[in-house]
Amino acid sequence: MEYLHHLERITYGARITKKDDDLMPIMRINVGPIHPSTHGVLRIVVDVDGDTIKRVEPHIGFLHRGVEKLMETRMYMQNLPYIEKLDYAAPLSWDDLYIATVEKAVGIEVKETAQYARMIMLEFQRIASHLLWLGTFVNDLGQMFTMFMWAFRERAVTMKFLEDVTGSRMFYVNLRLGGLVRELPANFKDEAYKLADYLEDKISEYPDMLEKNSIFMERTKNIGILKKDDAINYGATGPVVRASGVEYDVRKNLPYYFYNKIKFNIPVKINGDSYDRYRVRYEEMRESIKIIRQVLDIMPEENAIGLPIKLIGPPAKSEVVISERELPRGNGIVYMAPDKQKPYRIALKSPCFINLSILPILAKDIKFADLFSILGSLDVVMAEIDR
Amino acid sequence: MEIQKEALLKTLRGLKENGYDTLKYITAVDKNSYIEVVYLLYSTLSNNSEVVVVEVDGKKPEIDTVTEIYHSADWYERELAEMFLIRIKGRNIKRLLLEEWNGVLAPLRKDYVWGSDYKKR
Repeated sequence: MEYLHHLERITYGARITKKDDDLMPIMRINVGPIHPSTHGVLRIVVDVDGDTIKRVEPHIGFLHRGVEKLMETRMYMQNLPYIEKLDYAAPLSWDDLYIATVEKAVGIEVKETAQYARMIMLEFQRIASHLLWLGTFVNDLGQMFTMFMWAFRERAVTMKFLEDVTGSRMFYVNLRLGGLVRELPANFKDEAYKLADYLEDKISEYPDMLEKNSIFMERTKNIGILKKDDAINYGATGPVVRASGVEYDVRKNLPYYFYNKIKFNIPVKINGDSYDRYRVRYEEMRESIKIIRQVLDIMPEENAIGLPIKLIGPPAKSEVVISERELPRGNGIVYMAPDKQKPYRIALKSPCFINLSILPILAKDIKFADLFSILGSLDVVMAEIDR
Repeated sequence: MEIQKEALLKTLRGLKENGYDTLKYITAVDKNSYIEVVYLLYSTLSNNSEVVVVEVDGKKPEIDTVTEIYHSADWYERELAEMFLIRIKGRNIKRLLLEEWNGVLAPLRKDYVWGSDYKKR
């Protein structure tokens, strides 16, 4: 078959170009692929004029495993461990998105208790993911270690809770078609209430720590402003688009499970700078705690076990399935053209992928040091972007 | 909705004027003789979603760029060009994910079998 070889290769290496009428040459700096502030393997080529950034070009693909192709060769339930490794900060959220797609394709209803249990675990997962982000983000900005230790202390407790429920610490593989793997532990509700109280108590200390700190405020306020129209046009999702004033959250706009029964707010800010993106994520954690308490109040205690994994599972229908979820980092979409026992084609839309593509627009005509304030506030996970 | 390849730009412009202000995702499905390119659109005002499907020829796949209408198409089109070797008309495509890839095989097309080029390396 004749394929067109039309792709232009990217030139490698640092080089210096001189402008004729300028004393200061434009310099090209390589950041990464391995750099402590990039959270994964990301190479950024930055052209600077003095200390001002003129052009930024992210180079991705260092972690490309070909997950989409790999998944076409495996049965539906064999793909669960792969999908979790997309986002190691919030594996359960991707797990849920994938299993929801398969459930839609096969035509299985999820048990009521399992739906409530999934909501609780997903919200705890969102909190854990935001805590990981907050700790590392503040660390990057030069406010070393206190916030990092606090955030990771709370994250460890959250992960311990999820470990007690699912049986493993990081990659849970806890969901099955129509429900969960095993029964919830007997003290599930008590522990969840206790954890929600603990988290609320600890999280309420954070603003005093951060917002009275002039380093944090000066490095985030009015840095990396994304206007509302741009945010929509460039396709930003999740906390990034909500910080720019767009009220879009899949849990409200296209509700799944019992989110339409629960009362909660979508935090929306208007400035669209790094500070607003921090604020949106912080308030989301508090909303998650609200959701968890309400779900625990109305959750029935019945059987929540789903179908066991068999070599030949229930066959999928032939229609294309599109499912959406609000992941901690934004709107995740799975587009699947199903075959009977495995996906014919599965496309994974990563929210980080589109959020990172905005970096060249945000990081224009700013100081070099602010690049990491902006990159950090976008909250990208490279394993999910490269797939 | 399924549309002809020639009507893509006109359709998307029309949809954008009618409130579909966000392009969420572009992806493609290889159906052996042809490739389906899928555009997922969304309206933040009316909370409606729309799926636009375009069929392109499998032997010589070409499609118009939509970056002028939706800027979010930028990286998705670069990904399509790499993974399906679809020529994006009106754009000079730079490599995005696979900078070292040979550019002859399309990784997500069905005629590329997983692991088939392993021995050659």
